[in-house]
Amino acid sequence: MSLRRYLPHYLMIAPFIVLFAMFFLYPIISGLYYSFQNWNGVKPPAFVGIANYQKIIASRDFATAMRNLMTYVAITVPLGILVALGLALLVDNFTGRWANIFRNAYFMPVVLPAFLAATIWRWIYAPNFGLLNMILGWFGRPSVNFLNDTSTMLYALVAVDVWVSAGFNMVIILAGLKNIPVELYEAARLDGASKRQQIVHITIPMLGPVLFFVVTYGLISAMQVFDKPWLLTGSSFTSYGGRRNALLFPVMDMMGRAFGSVRFGEAAAYGFILTVAIIALTAAMFMLRRWKWRK
Amino acid sequence: MRNLNKLRSGVAGLVALGMIGSAGAAAAEDVTLQYWVYSDFAQGEALALQQEFIKEFSAKHPGVKIDIVGKGDDDLTAGQVAGAASGQLPDVFMNAQSVGAQLVEVGALDNLYSKWMAMPEEYRAQFDAEALKGCMPKPDELYCLPYTGFGSLLFRNLTVLEKAGIDTSKPPATWAEWFDQMKKVKAAGLYAIPDDTLVFNSVAEIYATSGGNDSWGFDWANRKTRIDPAIMTTVLQKFVDMKDLNSSTSRNDQATKDLFISNQLAFHNIGPWVNPTYEEAAKTSGLKYDFVLIPGDTAGKTGGIRSYEMIGVAPGPHADLAFEFAAFITEKSQMARWAKLLSRYNANAAAMAEPDVSALPLIKLSVDAAHGAMDVAAPYFVDSVPSCYNSTVTDIAAATADGEYTPEAGAKEMISQLNACLAQ
Amino acid sequence: MTGMSLPPIWTILKWALALSIAAVALFPIWWMVNVVFALPGEPVSLNPRLWPTSIPAGIDKIRLILTETDFLRAYGISLLYAVLTIAGVLIIGSLAAFEFALFDFPGRKLLFGIVMLSLMVPTAVTIIPTYLLTSQLGWLNTMQGLVIPGVASAFGLFMLIQFMRAIPMDMIEAARLDGASHFQVYWHVALPLCSNALVTLAILTFMQTWGNYMWPLIVSSRPEMYTVGQVVGLFNSPLSHQTVDTVMTANLLAAIPPLLFFLIFQRKIVEGIAMSGTKG
Repeated sequence: MSLRRYLPHYLMIAPFIVLFAMFFLYPIISGLYYSFQNWNGVKPPAFVGIANYQKIIASRDFATAMRNLMTYVAITVPLGILVALGLALLVDNFTGRWANIFRNAYFMPVVLPAFLAATIWRWIYAPNFGLLNMILGWFGRPSVNFLNDTSTMLYALVAVDVWVSAGFNMVIILAGLKNIPVELYEAARLDGASKRQQIVHITIPMLGPVLFFVVTYGLISAMQVFDKPWLLTGSSFTSYGGRRNALLFPVMDMMGRAFGSVRFGEAAAYGFILTVAIIALTAAMFMLRRWKWRK
Repeated sequence: MRNLNKLRSGVAGLVALGMIGSAGAAAAEDVTLQYWVYSDFAQGEALALQQEFIKEFSAKHPGVKIDIVGKGDDDLTAGQVAGAASGQLPDVFMNAQSVGAQLVEVGALDNLYSKWMAMPEEYRAQFDAEALKGCMPKPDELYCLPYTGFGSLLFRNLTVLEKAGIDTSKPPATWAEWFDQMKKVKAAGLYAIPDDTLVFNSVAEIYATSGGNDSWGFDWANRKTRIDPAIMTTVLQKFVDMKDLNSSTSRNDQATKDLFISNQLAFHNIGPWVNPTYEEAAKTSGLKYDFVLIPGDTAGKTGGIRSYEMIGVAPGPHADLAFEFAAFITEKSQMARWAKLLSRYNANAAAMAEPDVSALPLIKLSVDAAHGAMDVAAPYFVDSVPSCYNSTVTDIAAATADGEYTPEAGAKEMISQLNACLAQ
Repeated sequence: MTGMSLPPIWTILKWALALSIAAVALFPIWWMVNVVFALPGEPVSLNPRLWPTSIPAGIDKIRLILTETDFLRAYGISLLYAVLTIAGVLIIGSLAAFEFALFDFPGRKLLFGIVMLSLMVPTAVTIIPTYLLTSQLGWLNTMQGLVIPGVASAFGLFMLIQFMRAIPMDMIEAARLDGASHFQVYWHVALPLCSNALVTLAILTFMQTWGNYMWPLIVSSRPEMYTVGQVVGLFNSPLSHQTVDTVMTANLLAAIPPLLFFLIFQRKIVEGIAMSGTKG
């Protein structure tokens, strides 16, 4: 009886769930299994208990990578979303052709392959001749070695990151903005609300679910940052992280252990430590939302 | 609404297309060997020559087809590691000796010793003995045939040196002379050298000005580094001394090449692969440069490192044929043609001694550079170097140059961290 | 009133801001084009690449890339890979999102939770097990090997759910009362209402697939199945003899299809906006 009632629902989700179980769930579970094994991908795995986990937590690079990650996430996520929201509101202020032109211009960096973005920025950041240092030179400032000076490296990465991801988030937010019924604004205008009041009382609350999505996804992907720092520091599997490991992040360390040292068991364990951190953060996000809604 | 319908029918059509377009790979003919090489060996004139080798080999072995596949450096290793896990290995391939241990560990490399010993003495004698030793972690184990390689060189910008009032006719013979020239360059308001603390290989290059093979690399039996604290102290002192003279870019940065080409940087210590760029700049923007040996602490000693690419063979049903092919392309006449085409040094000493090969200045100097140089990560094929190793070396070299350690304390700290890293 | 003089100032500010941000966003790309269209080997200090300085040099580089590699075939592979992935993600993602966002059934919360958890597991953990499974299915070096493992996108599902939640329940009830079947409600009500989100997801999926590097690298190891990313990767090796100019050219060529794709489909978004505006 109840099966018949719910059957249409299950049929509709079946394609997703089956493929998901095969290509995501099964690999995750086997990854979890391998994280307790000494495994190089070829030889039969040997059970080592939690040795992989202990080894990672004790390693010097893990501490550095986690510290870098925390600073990076704390800066790049809020900054990236604020910029994206600002861009979306700005574009929303234009109509017709110019709205299109600006939106397309801001989205353009998203389209570039990561490698290209990194190469371009390596040149922009280059000491002495780089574009940024040329500009600093006009103001009589000494050359800064953005990608090799440990005090600037992280910010250099954040700038590239915002440059690339702001357009991505802007498009999602814009799609959300366009879904807000025009009638709400008309009603507010009739009530004499100013532009700013409209943003605070209509736009932001109505954008709630979309913003939640953008922030949550931004957090999750920032925790897994890999290709930009990898390329900005010119890393390879045997040597990565940049000067004094200032741009070493967990996924980089994990890839190095997997393909540089062929320790897939250890890399999997690393991944699950990171996963726990990501789950904790995301859970906090969901709890925050529930708490806000109840309020 | 109409648009959405269009989108929907388009999607349905594409799904059908995908089903048709996804037929499996074609069945093998007689025998097809998968031959993986570095991507720049699978492009342009290098590819043409490789294909000529393949044609010559196939002429002697009818029915054998060889697919040459180019891969980027890291992609080559990642592809082999993944391939080993699924049993889809390339039969014969190039890679760096420094990833050899990983490849042995995942079973991607065959022990070629017995096949090698079955080759005629005349063939075996062609190889550089030192290079060959790099392929042999034990007397009865041979995991590769040494192929192309390099010894690091010192590229000198002659315009910069003249501006600093330095006689360029004689290259610096010792570290002291070299360092003296660096200071003069700095006094002339120009950069002397790249920041050699940034890259593991360039730290090694400077280490080699004082140390050598007996105090570098790994003691795998005890899982300890072979770096000597006294020598490392001297070397770290050099980094402190060079701190204010360098361009603060790494030797691999594009910015470093730009500085060199635009006459702002005097010395660039690196492998011969930058030469095409500098040759081009000599033609287009009048760059005046040459390349010399990296001087060591005493006259006659050279600094710098050497490293070889290798040809490896995977175990499997085609291993014998794959070895024959590997032996064919590393044989003297092929290696001589290869060297002449790319002006690139390789491990076939007999080929390097051919008059028209040794007449090439870059090769002639590379032979000398490789003889005096230090192996960058020896011994190979024993165990994979943990990722913390290289970063510890560059980190502490940089921190000492920054003044966070004295050279003595830096050397001590580096060695204890390296031992801890290897012990993991 | 003073209020009357405010709008022009605000307008000027708005334009200044929008234009300067556009400059920041676009200049690096413009600069890259100039690197391609400049003589190789000229140091940046002499030629800062503020405008194209040598068109023939750029054409030579493009010709070099196209003749040296199977770039056009790689375009085809990448395009098919991207388009099939988009089709898969949109179809099965929207089917599932429709259920998760609008209905309740036993196991809904649990299933959704598991899918969300998978977003948090880094790829490096699963890449080898996924690869081994794909290999056991005999899908190495095939199109289905590239596409199918990535189709059940948790990101896509998460995003579509967020948008479908906004669909008013009464519209669904109304359709039901008109005698629409469950699937018809999805097809005629839910899908049209979130067309913005679908187009947006299509664009984002295109970017992700086009930029995906690690998966194609290990799954399609044969040159005849190389994607554009892999062909470009051949030029990106740090110690290769290629100069940076050539590398940039390869990358520029790789960036053209996603640029075109975006420019074509952004019109769809505009049309979607027009529809939702008149719907009221």
